[in-house]
Amino acid sequence: MERGAGMKVAMIGAGGMARTHAQCYQRMPDVSVAAVFDSSAEAADKLARDVGATAYSDAGAMLDQTEPDVVDVCVPTPWHAEYVCMAAEARPKGIVVEKPMGRTVADCARMMEACRRAGVPLFPAHVLRFFPEYALARTQVLSGAVGTVACVRTRRGGPFPRAWNNWYGRMELSGGVILDLIIHDFDWLRWTFGEVERVFAYGLAAGQGASAEVTKDYALVTLRFASGVIGHVEGTWADPGGFKVAIEIAGQEGLLEYNFNQPTSPAYIAALEGPAGSGPGVAVPENPTAESPYYLELAHFVSCLRTGAQPSITPEDGKEAVRIALAAIDSAATGRPVQLR
Amino acid sequence: MNVKIGILSMAHMHAYSYAAAIRAIEGAELVGIADHDAERARAAAQQFGTKAFDSYEALLSADIDAVVIGSENVRHRSLCEMAASARKHVLCEKPLATTVEDGEAMIAACHASGVQLMTAFPCRFSPAMARLKACVDSGQAGAVLAIRGTNRGRCPFGWFVDKSLSGGGAVIDHTVHVTDLMRWLLQDEVSSVYAEVSNRMFGKEFDDIGFLSMRFRKGVFATLDSSWSRPKSFPTWGDVTLAVVCERGTLYLDMFSQNLVLYSDKMGGVSWHMWGSNIDELMLRSFVAAVRDETPVPVTGEDGLRAAEVALAAYRSASEGTVVTLR
Repeated sequence: MERGAGMKVAMIGAGGMARTHAQCYQRMPDVSVAAVFDSSAEAADKLARDVGATAYSDAGAMLDQTEPDVVDVCVPTPWHAEYVCMAAEARPKGIVVEKPMGRTVADCARMMEACRRAGVPLFPAHVLRFFPEYALARTQVLSGAVGTVACVRTRRGGPFPRAWNNWYGRMELSGGVILDLIIHDFDWLRWTFGEVERVFAYGLAAGQGASAEVTKDYALVTLRFASGVIGHVEGTWADPGGFKVAIEIAGQEGLLEYNFNQPTSPAYIAALEGPAGSGPGVAVPENPTAESPYYLELAHFVSCLRTGAQPSITPEDGKEAVRIALAAIDSAATGRPVQLR
Repeated sequence: MNVKIGILSMAHMHAYSYAAAIRAIEGAELVGIADHDAERARAAAQQFGTKAFDSYEALLSADIDAVVIGSENVRHRSLCEMAASARKHVLCEKPLATTVEDGEAMIAACHASGVQLMTAFPCRFSPAMARLKACVDSGQAGAVLAIRGTNRGRCPFGWFVDKSLSGGGAVIDHTVHVTDLMRWLLQDEVSSVYAEVSNRMFGKEFDDIGFLSMRFRKGVFATLDSSWSRPKSFPTWGDVTLAVVCERGTLYLDMFSQNLVLYSDKMGGVSWHMWGSNIDELMLRSFVAAVRDETPVPVTGEDGLRAAEVALAAYRSASEGTVVTLR
């Protein structure tokens, strides 16, 4: 296939994030989702039907028969390594792996080695970097908008996510709110403020040990960066009031914040009565942007594969974010600060 | 009969708010102000329509029932001991003391003289905090699991950044309010503290950034941001916020969010103007009532000392890089 010609994507996984990714590819010029694999035939069929792809219940068969240009791995975290390594063998032009990149640092290293040997670019999907508010916050910080940064706080979370087999609630699978959710913040913070030196953390699930199974989780993580910046990350799966995020960066010459004391409203709110007889309605705030961050993220990777440019997120970035999250889990379990370097 | 009150030192800006509150309370009387800075006492006395006394001793010999101590932190002990000797009830500005020894001496002195010692924690009197505590106490939200707190402000400079008068920087200044709220809400004591502290905001001798992590005895964990991290251009002095994570959801408090927002060309920017209840006055009312009715003060010297101990433990944790266990 010529560069610039149509690209075929094979999805490994057919859950919520796989659907989001697949729908983005479908909207890209000269890109199509050719195949969908899921261990649940029903889930694979449904997503395949919706995006006009072929469903598979055998990932190996899918890779052999489809010869995809891009393989996108969106399965629960502990299976990332297995499928990424399998996909690398098929020598696609590139592989996308959903965050967190792996359940362990060793998993991440294994994926990196397999992709390096196969000569296949691996792209950890840290989509937060493509959210315009986070991208702008970083640009502002780097341009000196608040002067020398002294401290940074972020918040992320909402209700507990209900999913297949309660896998989010099982520490050994998801790593809880620390590895699954606030890894977004760890990656963005490392991208913006550099390497993390040490971590101290509390976590409801992480504090209960590796075999914990929970139906809510909450974590408070303090980070000391090598630069001297002090950071605080709050992650919640214990807030039924809806998903919320916040950033706050305080420096010698100013304070940059998003959602803490937010002086502006969301761009769009639908405050509607519910369907007849369903009781009171709810107000659903949205901040619509011209392109979804997921589209921007995947289009960036596809474009890099076409031009041969280096993707803005490296496998090393994916691994380091996992390392920070695992250090936080370790700290929450032991009650002690954990040195990262 | 009026409760007669004197103010020992106006060094702390809160003393001005307390003076105004005393004047506003029916049944309370501001008898006078003394200060080691005589000019400051004179100016404040004029401002609040009361008498300036030449010395602390002179004010303590006057016909008063109680004193408010508004001095620099390190002077709290000696003023408290003088007041106790003169058998005057004491409302002392926070932090109660800059060492555990000083705090214990203050409590002992008041106890020995049979006078009451109250620590000035006005946040306890916030109607929004009362609403939050009632929700927790009712059991409606289930058990508390974790708390995220903040008490950030602009750097007050002056004696607040002179450790020989303040006992420390942002951490000792801003840890105690929210630590007290957490203790009160949980009816529990802090058992261990870890802290990351720096001076990166101003790069001076004093600490300006403090991120504390605390574990309570019954297992609840919490963090508290006690930094002087609000810039001069911030629309108000700072904040007190809590996120209280419970079994059945999360409760949020933003204590000083009841504001009008003013965009002013004359003042050159945005400022917030609070319309929420005056918690300083609510606190003074409770102190006056306790003195008048001879009932226990609602916030004690022990409460002040427990909160100060957490700030002191945070400094130790930061200097040693370890988790510090409290008693």
